[in-house]
Amino acid sequence: MPTPLKELESLLYRLITAPSGVGEGLASERNLPRTGLGAIVLGDERLSAEERADIYANMYFYRLLDALKEDFPATRKVLGDDAFHNLVTGYLIEYPPTQPSVAECGRFLSRYLRDHPQSVDAPYLADLAALERATVEVFQGPDANALSAEAMRAIPADQWPALKLRLHPCVQVLDVEWRVADLLRAVEEGRDWQPAARGAAKIVVSRRSGRVRYRELEQSEYRAIDAARTGATFANICDLVAEHSGALDPVAELNRLLARWLSDAIFIV
Amino acid sequence: MKRADFPFLGFGVGLRRPHYSHIVERRPKVDWFEVVSENFMVAGGRAIEVLEDVRAHYPIVLHGVSMSLGSTDPLNRDYLKKLRDLAKRFDPAWISDHLCWTGVGGRNLHDLLPLPYTEEALSHVVTRIRRVQDTLERPMLIENVSSYLAFADSTMTEWEFIAEIAEQADCGILLDINNIFVSAFNHRFDPNEYLDAIPVERVVQYHLAGHSDHGTHLLDTHDHPVRDEVWALYERAIRRFGAVSALVEWDDNIPEFAVLMETADRARQIYDAAARTPTEQSLDANSTERTGKPALPADHRA
Repeated sequence: MPTPLKELESLLYRLITAPSGVGEGLASERNLPRTGLGAIVLGDERLSAEERADIYANMYFYRLLDALKEDFPATRKVLGDDAFHNLVTGYLIEYPPTQPSVAECGRFLSRYLRDHPQSVDAPYLADLAALERATVEVFQGPDANALSAEAMRAIPADQWPALKLRLHPCVQVLDVEWRVADLLRAVEEGRDWQPAARGAAKIVVSRRSGRVRYRELEQSEYRAIDAARTGATFANICDLVAEHSGALDPVAELNRLLARWLSDAIFIV
Repeated sequence: MKRADFPFLGFGVGLRRPHYSHIVERRPKVDWFEVVSENFMVAGGRAIEVLEDVRAHYPIVLHGVSMSLGSTDPLNRDYLKKLRDLAKRFDPAWISDHLCWTGVGGRNLHDLLPLPYTEEALSHVVTRIRRVQDTLERPMLIENVSSYLAFADSTMTEWEFIAEIAEQADCGILLDINNIFVSAFNHRFDPNEYLDAIPVERVVQYHLAGHSDHGTHLLDTHDHPVRDEVWALYERAIRRFGAVSALVEWDDNIPEFAVLMETADRARQIYDAAARTPTEQSLDANSTERTGKPALPADHRA
Protein backbone atom coordinates (compact mmCIF):
# COMPACT_ATOMS: atom_id res chain seq x y z
CA MET A 1 0.00 0.00 0.00
CA PRO A 2 1.70 3.23 -1.11
CA THR A 3 2.12 6.01 1.42
CA PRO A 4 -0.52 8.69 0.72
CA LEU A 5 1.02 11.77 -0.87
CA LYS A 6 0.00 14.12 1.94
CA GLU A 7 1.54 11.82 4.53
CA LEU A 8 4.72 11.51 2.49
CA GLU A 9 5.11 15.25 2.08
CA SER A 10 4.38 15.92 5.75
CA LEU A 11 6.97 13.36 6.82
CA LEU A 12 9.64 14.79 4.55
CA TYR A 13 8.83 18.30 5.71
CA ARG A 14 9.32 17.30 9.34
CA LEU A 15 12.60 15.55 8.58
CA ILE A 16 14.01 18.35 6.43
CA THR A 17 13.20 21.02 9.01
CA ALA A 18 14.26 19.02 12.08
CA PRO A 19 16.60 21.40 13.97
CA SER A 20 19.48 18.95 14.36
CA GLY A 21 19.12 17.10 11.10
CA VAL A 22 17.23 14.23 9.61
CA GLY A 23 18.67 11.66 12.06
CA GLU A 24 17.17 13.48 15.02
CA GLY A 25 13.94 13.95 13.14
CA LEU A 26 13.74 10.24 12.40
CA ALA A 27 14.23 9.38 16.06
CA SER A 28 11.08 11.26 16.95
CA GLU A 29 8.93 9.70 14.22
CA ARG A 30 6.56 7.17 15.73
CA ASN A 31 4.75 5.91 12.64
CA LEU A 32 7.62 4.95 10.36
CA PRO A 33 7.66 1.38 8.98
CA ARG A 34 9.87 -1.01 10.95
CA THR A 35 12.47 -0.85 8.18
CA GLY A 36 12.72 2.90 8.69
CA LEU A 37 13.01 5.65 6.11
CA GLY A 38 14.44 3.14 3.63
CA ALA A 39 10.94 1.74 3.17
CA ILE A 40 9.87 5.10 1.77
CA VAL A 41 13.00 6.69 0.29
CA LEU A 42 15.38 4.60 -1.79
CA GLY A 43 18.96 4.42 -0.62
CA ASP A 44 21.94 2.74 -2.23
CA GLU A 45 25.63 2.04 -1.55
CA ARG A 46 26.52 5.65 -2.31
CA LEU A 47 23.93 7.35 -0.10
CA SER A 48 21.46 5.98 2.40
CA ALA A 49 17.86 7.15 2.48
CA GLU A 50 18.70 9.31 5.48
CA GLU A 51 21.72 10.87 3.76
CA ARG A 52 19.60 11.67 0.73
CA ALA A 53 16.99 13.40 2.88
CA ASP A 54 19.84 15.22 4.63
CA ILE A 55 20.86 16.82 1.32
CA TYR A 56 17.48 18.56 1.28
CA ALA A 57 17.75 19.47 4.96
CA ASN A 58 21.08 21.19 4.34
CA MET A 59 19.81 22.99 1.28
CA TYR A 60 16.74 24.20 3.19
CA PHE A 61 18.77 25.68 6.02
CA TYR A 62 21.61 27.16 4.01
CA ARG A 63 19.37 28.72 1.38
CA LEU A 64 17.47 30.57 4.11
CA LEU A 65 20.64 31.39 6.02
CA ASP A 66 22.09 32.96 2.86
CA ALA A 67 18.90 34.95 2.26
CA LEU A 68 18.93 36.24 5.85
CA LYS A 69 22.65 37.08 5.67
CA GLU A 70 21.94 39.19 2.62
CA ASP A 71 19.02 41.02 4.24
CA PHE A 72 20.59 41.48 7.70
CA PRO A 73 24.29 42.24 7.13
CA ALA A 74 24.61 44.45 10.21
CA THR A 75 22.83 42.04 12.56
CA ARG A 76 25.19 39.36 11.30
CA LYS A 77 28.21 41.62 11.74
CA VAL A 78 27.30 42.40 15.34
CA LEU A 79 26.67 38.74 16.22
CA GLY A 80 29.44 37.12 14.19
CA ASP A 81 28.91 34.19 11.84
CA ASP A 82 28.49 31.42 14.41
CA ALA A 83 26.02 33.28 16.59
CA PHE A 84 24.08 34.41 13.53
CA HIS A 85 23.94 30.81 12.33
CA ASN A 86 22.55 29.73 15.71
CA LEU A 87 20.12 32.63 15.74
CA VAL A 88 18.75 31.58 12.34
CA THR A 89 18.44 27.96 13.50
CA GLY A 90 16.17 29.04 16.33
CA TYR A 91 14.35 31.63 14.27
CA LEU A 92 13.36 29.12 11.58
CA ILE A 93 11.90 26.83 14.21
CA GLU A 94 9.75 29.61 15.60
CA TYR A 95 9.02 31.36 12.31
CA PRO A 96 9.26 28.84 9.46
CA PRO A 97 8.73 30.38 6.02
CA THR A 98 5.15 30.48 4.84
CA GLN A 99 5.32 32.82 1.85
CA PRO A 100 6.17 32.01 -1.78
CA SER A 101 8.96 34.59 -1.87
CA VAL A 102 12.15 33.84 0.02
CA ALA A 103 12.48 37.60 0.56
CA GLU A 104 9.72 37.29 3.16
CA CYS A 105 11.62 34.86 5.37
CA GLY A 106 13.14 37.64 7.49
CA ARG A 107 9.88 39.38 8.23
CA PHE A 108 9.82 38.39 11.91
CA LEU A 109 13.52 38.39 12.79
CA SER A 110 13.27 41.64 14.74
CA ARG A 111 10.31 40.33 16.73
CA TYR A 112 12.22 37.10 17.43
CA LEU A 113 15.22 39.08 18.64
CA ARG A 114 13.19 41.10 21.19
CA ASP A 115 13.26 38.27 23.71
CA HIS A 116 16.32 36.42 22.47
CA PRO A 117 19.28 35.80 24.80
CA GLN A 118 21.58 37.52 22.28
CA SER A 119 19.72 40.74 23.02
CA VAL A 120 20.97 40.72 26.61
CA ASP A 121 24.50 41.58 25.49
CA ALA A 122 23.40 43.63 22.49
CA PRO A 123 19.99 45.06 23.41
CA TYR A 124 19.86 47.12 20.21
CA LEU A 125 19.73 44.05 17.97
CA ALA A 126 15.93 44.01 17.59
CA ASP A 127 15.92 47.67 16.52
CA LEU A 128 18.82 47.05 14.16
CA ALA A 129 17.03 44.09 12.55
CA ALA A 130 13.84 46.17 12.29
CA LEU A 131 15.75 48.85 10.40
CA GLU A 132 17.36 46.29 8.09
CA ARG A 133 14.00 44.68 7.42
CA ALA A 134 12.47 48.10 6.70
CA THR A 135 15.13 48.75 4.06
CA VAL A 136 14.14 45.47 2.35
CA GLU A 137 10.44 46.38 2.42
CA VAL A 138 10.99 49.93 1.23
CA PHE A 139 13.23 48.69 -1.59
CA GLN A 140 10.30 46.75 -3.04
CA GLY A 141 7.50 48.98 -1.76
CA PRO A 142 4.83 50.62 -3.92
CA ASP A 143 5.76 53.12 -6.61
CA ALA A 144 4.40 56.67 -6.72
CA ASN A 145 5.66 59.97 -8.08
CA ALA A 146 7.43 61.61 -5.17
CA LEU A 147 7.06 65.34 -4.76
CA SER A 148 10.19 66.95 -6.14
CA ALA A 149 11.53 70.46 -5.74
CA GLU A 150 10.66 71.13 -9.36
CA ALA A 151 7.08 69.90 -8.90
CA MET A 152 6.73 71.95 -5.74
CA ARG A 153 7.91 75.09 -7.52
CA ALA A 154 5.38 74.48 -10.27
CA ILE A 155 2.52 74.74 -7.78
CA PRO A 156 1.29 78.37 -7.53
CA ALA A 157 2.37 79.88 -4.22
CA ASP A 158 -1.17 80.79 -3.26
CA GLN A 159 -2.08 77.08 -3.33
CA TRP A 160 0.69 75.98 -0.98
CA PRO A 161 -1.14 76.64 2.31
CA ALA A 162 -4.01 74.30 1.39
CA LEU A 163 -1.73 71.70 -0.15
CA LYS A 164 -2.05 68.28 1.45
CA LEU A 165 1.25 66.46 1.58
CA ARG A 166 0.89 62.69 1.90
CA LEU A 167 3.55 60.18 2.79
CA HIS A 168 4.95 58.25 -0.18
CA PRO A 169 3.37 54.76 0.07
CA CYS A 170 6.74 53.03 0.39
CA VAL A 171 7.99 55.24 3.25
CA GLN A 172 8.30 53.75 6.74
CA VAL A 173 8.92 55.58 10.00
CA LEU A 174 10.43 53.40 12.71
CA ASP A 175 10.14 54.07 16.41
CA VAL A 176 13.36 52.76 17.99
CA GLU A 177 14.93 52.80 21.43
CA TRP A 178 18.52 52.57 20.19
CA ARG A 179 20.46 54.74 17.74
CA VAL A 180 20.94 52.00 15.17
CA ALA A 181 21.06 54.09 11.97
CA ASP A 182 24.74 54.96 12.39
CA LEU A 183 25.62 51.33 13.06
CA LEU A 184 23.90 50.13 9.90
CA ARG A 185 25.52 52.87 7.84
CA ALA A 186 28.96 51.95 9.17
CA VAL A 187 28.46 48.30 8.21
CA GLU A 188 27.10 49.19 4.77
CA GLU A 189 30.09 51.46 4.14
CA GLY A 190 32.57 48.90 5.40
CA ARG A 191 33.69 51.08 8.31
CA ASP A 192 34.33 50.05 11.89
CA TRP A 193 31.07 50.02 13.78
CA GLN A 194 30.26 50.93 17.34
CA PRO A 195 27.47 49.43 19.45
CA ALA A 196 24.33 51.54 19.21
CA ALA A 197 23.76 53.95 22.09
CA ARG A 198 20.50 53.97 23.99
CA GLY A 199 18.23 56.76 22.89
CA ALA A 200 14.71 56.95 21.54
CA ALA A 201 14.60 57.98 17.91
CA LYS A 202 12.38 58.00 14.87
CA ILE A 203 14.01 56.75 11.69
CA VAL A 204 12.54 57.48 8.28
CA VAL A 205 13.24 54.93 5.54
CA SER A 206 12.51 56.08 2.00
CA ARG A 207 13.50 55.36 -1.57
CA ARG A 208 14.71 57.63 -4.31
CA SER A 209 15.74 56.49 -7.79
CA GLY A 210 15.56 52.88 -6.67
CA ARG A 211 17.97 53.43 -3.77
CA VAL A 212 16.88 53.13 -0.16
CA ARG A 213 17.91 55.85 2.26
CA TYR A 214 17.34 56.22 5.99
CA ARG A 215 18.10 58.74 8.70
CA GLU A 216 16.94 59.83 12.11
CA LEU A 217 14.23 62.44 12.10
CA GLU A 218 14.49 65.65 14.02
CA GLN A 219 11.68 66.10 16.52
CA SER A 220 9.95 68.87 14.59
CA GLU A 221 10.06 67.08 11.27
CA TYR A 222 8.71 63.91 12.88
CA ARG A 223 5.74 65.94 14.08
CA ALA A 224 5.31 67.34 10.59
CA ILE A 225 5.51 63.91 8.94
CA ASP A 226 3.15 62.44 11.51
CA ALA A 227 0.68 65.25 10.80
CA ALA A 228 0.95 64.61 7.06
CA ARG A 229 -0.15 61.02 7.70
CA THR A 230 -3.44 62.30 9.04
CA GLY A 231 -4.13 64.77 6.26
CA ALA A 232 -2.58 67.99 7.56
CA THR A 233 -2.17 70.86 5.11
CA PHE A 234 1.11 72.53 4.28
CA ALA A 235 -0.02 75.48 6.44
CA ASN A 236 -0.57 73.09 9.40
CA ILE A 237 2.89 71.65 8.86
CA CYS A 238 4.44 75.13 8.78
CA ASP A 239 2.76 75.91 12.10
CA LEU A 240 4.07 72.68 13.65
CA VAL A 241 7.62 73.39 12.55
CA ALA A 242 7.41 76.97 13.81
CA GLU A 243 6.05 75.77 17.15
CA HIS A 244 8.38 72.85 17.80
CA SER A 245 11.67 73.52 16.05
CA GLY A 246 12.78 76.28 18.39
CA ALA A 247 14.44 77.93 15.40
CA LEU A 248 15.04 81.67 15.49
CA ASP A 249 14.07 81.87 11.84
CA PRO A 250 11.12 79.49 11.28
CA VAL A 251 10.97 80.24 7.55
CA ALA A 252 14.60 79.29 7.04
CA GLU A 253 14.04 76.21 9.17
CA LEU A 254 11.04 75.18 7.10
CA ASN A 255 13.01 75.69 3.89
CA ARG A 256 15.79 73.49 5.26
CA LEU A 257 13.40 70.71 6.25
CA LEU A 258 11.39 70.92 3.05
CA ALA A 259 14.58 70.55 1.02
CA ARG A 260 15.43 67.38 2.98
CA TRP A 261 11.95 65.92 2.56
CA LEU A 262 11.97 66.54 -1.16
CA SER A 263 15.48 65.15 -1.45
CA ASP A 264 14.49 62.04 0.48
CA ALA A 265 11.34 61.53 -1.64
CA ILE A 266 9.16 61.37 1.45
CA PHE A 267 6.00 63.04 0.16
CA ILE A 268 3.52 62.83 -2.65
CA VAL A 269 0.61 65.17 -3.30
CA MET B 1 -1.00 22.52 -26.92
CA LYS B 2 1.79 22.23 -29.47
CA ARG B 3 5.24 23.73 -29.52
CA ALA B 4 4.27 25.67 -32.61
CA ASP B 5 1.79 27.57 -30.42
CA PHE B 6 4.79 29.29 -28.85
CA PRO B 7 7.39 31.52 -30.54
CA PHE B 8 10.96 30.34 -30.96
CA LEU B 9 12.89 32.90 -28.90
CA GLY B 10 16.42 31.75 -29.62
CA PHE B 11 19.12 31.65 -26.95
CA GLY B 12 18.60 33.63 -23.77
CA VAL B 13 19.87 34.13 -20.25
CA GLY B 14 18.30 34.54 -16.83
CA LEU B 15 17.73 38.10 -15.64
CA ARG B 16 19.64 38.44 -12.36
CA ARG B 17 20.14 41.45 -10.08
CA PRO B 18 23.95 41.82 -10.49
CA HIS B 19 23.40 42.41 -14.21
CA TYR B 20 20.52 44.91 -14.01
CA SER B 21 22.63 47.99 -14.62
CA HIS B 22 24.65 46.37 -17.40
CA ILE B 23 21.52 45.29 -19.25
CA VAL B 24 19.69 48.58 -18.85
CA GLU B 25 22.71 50.68 -19.82
CA ARG B 26 24.33 48.52 -22.51
CA ARG B 27 21.43 46.63 -24.11
CA PRO B 28 23.50 43.49 -24.74
CA LYS B 29 22.70 41.43 -27.81
CA VAL B 30 20.77 38.66 -26.10
CA ASP B 31 17.76 37.04 -27.72
CA TRP B 32 15.58 36.95 -24.61
CA PHE B 33 15.47 36.88 -20.81
CA GLU B 34 13.90 34.50 -18.35
CA VAL B 35 12.57 36.20 -15.23
CA VAL B 36 12.04 34.52 -11.86
CA SER B 37 8.36 35.35 -11.27
CA GLU B 38 8.55 35.65 -7.48
CA ASN B 39 11.29 38.29 -7.67
CA PHE B 40 8.86 40.59 -9.43
CA MET B 41 5.71 39.90 -7.41
CA VAL B 42 6.44 43.07 -5.48
CA ALA B 43 4.61 46.36 -5.23
CA GLY B 44 7.29 48.42 -6.94
CA GLY B 45 10.86 49.63 -6.79
CA ARG B 46 14.01 48.95 -8.76
CA ALA B 47 13.10 45.41 -9.84
CA ILE B 48 9.86 46.49 -11.48
CA GLU B 49 11.56 49.48 -13.07
CA VAL B 50 14.23 47.21 -14.55
CA LEU B 51 11.69 44.68 -15.79
CA GLU B 52 9.71 47.39 -17.54
CA ASP B 53 12.87 48.52 -19.27
CA VAL B 54 13.96 44.99 -20.18
CA ARG B 55 10.52 44.08 -21.49
CA ALA B 56 10.51 47.14 -23.73
CA HIS B 57 13.59 45.81 -25.50
CA TYR B 58 13.54 42.00 -25.22
CA PRO B 59 11.09 39.10 -25.14
CA ILE B 60 10.73 37.60 -21.65
CA VAL B 61 9.27 34.48 -20.09
CA LEU B 62 8.15 34.12 -16.47
CA HIS B 63 9.69 31.22 -14.58
CA GLY B 64 8.38 30.44 -11.10
CA VAL B 65 9.80 28.48 -8.20
CA SER B 66 6.89 28.49 -5.73
CA MET B 67 3.74 27.31 -7.49
CA SER B 68 4.18 23.99 -5.69
CA LEU B 69 2.20 22.01 -8.23
CA GLY B 70 2.79 18.77 -6.37
CA SER B 71 1.87 19.95 -2.89
CA THR B 72 -1.17 18.52 -1.17
CA ASP B 73 -1.91 22.01 0.17
CA PRO B 74 -4.58 23.93 -1.74
CA LEU B 75 -3.25 25.98 -4.64
CA ASN B 76 -2.25 29.43 -3.42
CA ARG B 77 -4.92 31.66 -4.98
CA ASP B 78 -3.18 34.86 -3.96
CA TYR B 79 0.04 33.69 -5.60
CA LEU B 80 -1.76 32.74 -8.79
CA LYS B 81 -3.55 36.08 -8.93
CA LYS B 82 -0.24 37.90 -8.57
CA LEU B 83 1.26 35.74 -11.29
CA ARG B 84 -1.68 36.40 -13.59
CA ASP B 85 -1.39 40.14 -12.94
CA LEU B 86 2.34 40.02 -13.62
CA ALA B 87 1.73 38.19 -16.89
CA LYS B 88 -0.94 40.69 -17.94
CA ARG B 89 1.42 43.56 -17.24
CA PHE B 90 4.55 42.15 -18.89
CA ASP B 91 3.15 39.84 -21.58
CA PRO B 92 5.66 36.98 -21.35
CA ALA B 93 6.00 34.52 -24.21
CA TRP B 94 5.06 31.82 -21.69
CA ILE B 95 4.95 30.93 -18.00
CA SER B 96 6.71 27.97 -16.42
CA ASP B 97 7.22 26.34 -13.05
CA HIS B 98 8.55 23.08 -11.69
CA LEU B 99 7.14 19.59 -11.46
CA CYS B 100 7.67 19.37 -7.73
CA TRP B 101 6.33 20.43 -4.36
CA THR B 102 7.87 23.22 -2.31
CA GLY B 103 5.96 23.00 0.95
CA VAL B 104 3.08 21.52 2.88
CA GLY B 105 0.92 22.44 5.86
CA GLY B 106 1.13 26.13 4.98
CA ARG B 107 4.93 26.09 5.26
CA ASN B 108 7.39 26.71 2.46
CA LEU B 109 10.71 24.89 2.13
CA HIS B 110 11.94 27.14 -0.69
CA ASP B 111 13.27 24.04 -2.39
CA LEU B 112 12.11 21.89 -5.29
CA LEU B 113 11.20 18.49 -3.90
CA PRO B 114 10.51 15.49 -6.10
CA LEU B 115 7.24 13.61 -6.16
CA PRO B 116 6.68 9.88 -6.02
CA TYR B 117 5.89 8.73 -9.55
CA THR B 118 2.53 7.21 -8.69
CA GLU B 119 -0.97 7.33 -10.15
CA GLU B 120 -2.08 9.37 -7.13
CA ALA B 121 0.59 12.02 -7.68
CA LEU B 122 -0.01 12.04 -11.42
CA SER B 123 -3.74 12.61 -11.07
CA HIS B 124 -3.18 15.24 -8.36
CA VAL B 125 -0.70 17.24 -10.44
CA VAL B 126 -2.73 17.02 -13.65
CA THR B 127 -5.78 18.43 -11.87
CA ARG B 128 -3.75 21.29 -10.43
CA ILE B 129 -2.03 22.20 -13.70
CA ARG B 130 -5.41 22.37 -15.39
CA ARG B 131 -6.66 24.71 -12.65
CA VAL B 132 -3.57 26.86 -12.93
CA GLN B 133 -3.92 27.09 -16.70
CA ASP B 134 -7.57 28.07 -16.31
CA THR B 135 -6.59 30.79 -13.84
CA LEU B 136 -3.74 32.08 -15.97
CA GLU B 137 -5.86 31.73 -19.09
CA ARG B 138 -2.95 30.21 -20.99
CA PRO B 139 -1.03 26.94 -21.19
CA MET B 140 2.03 26.66 -18.97
CA LEU B 141 5.27 24.69 -19.08
CA ILE B 142 6.43 22.29 -16.39
CA GLU B 143 10.12 21.74 -15.71
CA ASN B 144 11.81 18.54 -14.61
CA VAL B 145 13.77 19.10 -11.38
CA SER B 146 17.10 17.75 -10.21
CA SER B 147 16.53 15.25 -7.43
CA TYR B 148 18.61 13.62 -4.74
CA LEU B 149 16.10 11.08 -3.51
CA ALA B 150 13.57 8.75 -5.09
CA PHE B 151 10.57 7.04 -3.58
CA ALA B 152 10.02 3.33 -3.08
CA ASP B 153 6.35 3.77 -4.02
CA SER B 154 7.08 5.00 -7.56
CA THR B 155 5.47 2.82 -10.20
CA MET B 156 6.84 4.62 -13.24
CA THR B 157 9.99 6.41 -14.32
CA GLU B 158 10.39 10.17 -14.10
CA TRP B 159 10.23 10.49 -17.89
CA GLU B 160 7.03 8.44 -18.06
CA PHE B 161 5.60 10.59 -15.27
CA ILE B 162 6.37 13.96 -16.86
CA ALA B 163 5.34 12.83 -20.34
CA GLU B 164 2.00 11.53 -19.06
CA ILE B 165 1.34 14.68 -17.03
CA ALA B 166 2.07 16.89 -20.04
CA GLU B 167 -0.31 14.85 -22.18
CA GLN B 168 -3.13 14.68 -19.64
CA ALA B 169 -2.83 18.32 -18.51
CA ASP B 170 -2.17 19.50 -22.05
CA CYS B 171 0.79 21.61 -20.99
CA GLY B 172 4.27 22.17 -22.36
CA ILE B 173 7.60 20.94 -21.03
CA LEU B 174 10.60 22.99 -20.04
CA LEU B 175 13.31 20.41 -20.35
CA ASP B 176 16.22 21.15 -18.06
CA ILE B 177 19.13 19.33 -19.68
CA ASN B 178 21.37 19.76 -16.65
CA ASN B 179 18.67 18.44 -14.33
CA ILE B 180 18.35 15.30 -16.45
CA PHE B 181 22.10 14.81 -16.25
CA VAL B 182 22.22 15.41 -12.48
CA SER B 183 19.30 13.11 -11.72
CA ALA B 184 20.63 10.45 -14.09
CA PHE B 185 23.86 10.36 -12.08
CA ASN B 186 22.08 10.48 -8.71
CA HIS B 187 19.61 7.72 -9.58
CA ARG B 188 21.67 5.76 -12.11
CA PHE B 189 19.54 5.99 -15.19
CA ASP B 190 20.44 6.64 -18.78
CA PRO B 191 19.79 10.30 -19.67
CA ASN B 192 19.39 9.34 -23.31
CA GLU B 193 16.51 7.06 -22.40
CA TYR B 194 14.91 10.04 -20.66
CA LEU B 195 15.24 12.26 -23.74
CA ASP B 196 13.92 9.56 -26.03
CA ALA B 197 10.72 9.20 -23.99
CA ILE B 198 9.74 12.86 -23.92
CA PRO B 199 7.06 13.79 -26.49
CA VAL B 200 8.69 16.05 -29.08
CA GLU B 201 5.74 18.37 -29.56
CA ARG B 202 5.55 19.20 -25.85
CA VAL B 203 9.07 20.59 -25.44
CA VAL B 204 9.05 24.38 -25.65
CA GLN B 205 12.19 25.38 -23.75
CA TYR B 206 15.53 24.07 -22.51
CA HIS B 207 17.46 25.06 -19.44
CA LEU B 208 21.24 24.84 -19.44
CA ALA B 209 23.17 25.25 -16.20
CA GLY B 210 26.18 24.11 -14.23
CA HIS B 211 26.25 21.72 -11.29
CA SER B 212 28.71 20.70 -8.60
CA ASP B 213 30.16 17.25 -8.06
CA HIS B 214 30.08 15.97 -4.48
CA GLY B 215 31.44 12.54 -5.27
CA THR B 216 28.46 10.57 -4.06
CA HIS B 217 26.03 12.85 -5.86
CA LEU B 218 25.75 15.85 -8.14
CA LEU B 219 24.09 19.04 -6.90
CA ASP B 220 22.21 21.36 -9.19
CA THR B 221 23.90 24.51 -7.90
CA HIS B 222 23.81 26.78 -10.98
CA ASP B 223 27.19 28.12 -9.90
CA HIS B 224 29.52 26.56 -12.48
CA PRO B 225 29.89 26.64 -16.25
CA VAL B 226 27.82 24.10 -18.15
CA ARG B 227 29.76 20.81 -18.17
CA ASP B 228 30.81 19.16 -21.41
CA GLU B 229 28.60 16.14 -20.71
CA VAL B 230 25.60 18.44 -20.44
CA TRP B 231 26.52 20.15 -23.70
CA ALA B 232 26.65 16.72 -25.31
CA LEU B 233 23.21 15.89 -23.96
CA TYR B 234 21.96 19.24 -25.22
CA GLU B 235 23.23 18.44 -28.70
CA ARG B 236 21.44 15.12 -28.57
CA ALA B 237 18.26 16.90 -27.43
CA ILE B 238 18.49 19.26 -30.42
CA ARG B 239 18.64 16.27 -32.73
CA ARG B 240 15.51 14.85 -31.18
CA PHE B 241 13.43 17.94 -30.48
CA GLY B 242 14.55 20.39 -33.15
CA ALA B 243 14.34 24.14 -32.66
CA VAL B 244 13.64 24.77 -29.00
CA SER B 245 14.34 28.05 -27.19
CA ALA B 246 17.30 27.62 -24.84
CA LEU B 247 18.12 29.49 -21.66
CA VAL B 248 21.31 29.72 -19.59
CA GLU B 249 20.72 29.75 -15.81
CA TRP B 250 23.34 31.01 -13.37
CA ASP B 251 22.22 31.77 -9.81
CA ASP B 252 25.28 31.62 -7.57
CA ASN B 253 28.83 32.86 -8.05
CA ILE B 254 27.26 34.83 -10.86
CA PRO B 255 29.95 35.84 -13.38
CA GLU B 256 30.23 38.87 -15.61
CA PHE B 257 27.39 39.17 -18.08
CA ALA B 258 29.81 38.43 -20.92
CA VAL B 259 30.25 34.89 -19.59
CA LEU B 260 26.51 34.28 -19.78
CA MET B 261 26.44 35.66 -23.31
CA GLU B 262 29.31 33.38 -24.31
CA THR B 263 27.39 30.42 -22.90
CA ALA B 264 24.23 31.40 -24.78
CA ASP B 265 26.34 31.80 -27.93
CA ARG B 266 27.76 28.33 -27.44
CA ALA B 267 24.20 26.99 -27.22
CA ARG B 268 23.46 28.77 -30.48
CA GLN B 269 26.60 27.41 -32.16
CA ILE B 270 25.77 23.86 -31.15
CA TYR B 271 22.28 24.35 -32.48
CA ASP B 272 23.57 25.78 -35.76
CA ALA B 273 26.04 22.93 -36.20
CA ALA B 274 23.33 20.37 -35.53
CA ALA B 275 21.08 22.16 -38.02
CA ARG B 276 23.67 21.57 -40.75
CA THR B 277 23.81 17.82 -40.22
CA PRO B 278 21.15 15.15 -40.72
CA THR B 279 19.02 14.69 -37.65
CA GLU B 280 16.48 12.21 -36.41
CA GLN B 281 14.02 15.09 -36.09
CA SER B 282 13.93 17.77 -38.73
CA LEU B 283 15.01 20.98 -37.09
CA ASP B 284 12.36 23.03 -38.81
CA ALA B 285 9.64 20.43 -38.66
CA ASN B 286 7.29 22.57 -36.61
CA SER B 287 7.59 25.94 -38.20
CA THR B 288 9.24 27.55 -41.16
CA GLU B 289 10.45 30.20 -38.70
CA ARG B 290 12.57 27.70 -36.79
CA THR B 291 15.84 28.25 -38.56
CA GLY B 292 17.99 29.31 -35.63
CA LYS B 293 17.03 32.93 -36.07
CA PRO B 294 14.37 33.79 -33.53
CA ALA B 295 11.26 35.72 -34.40
CA LEU B 296 11.70 38.90 -32.41
CA PRO B 297 9.93 42.20 -32.00
CA ALA B 298 11.07 44.81 -34.50
CA ASP B 299 12.68 46.91 -31.79
CA HIS B 300 14.54 44.03 -30.16
CA ARG B 301 18.01 45.13 -31.19
CA ALA B 302 17.24 48.84 -31.02
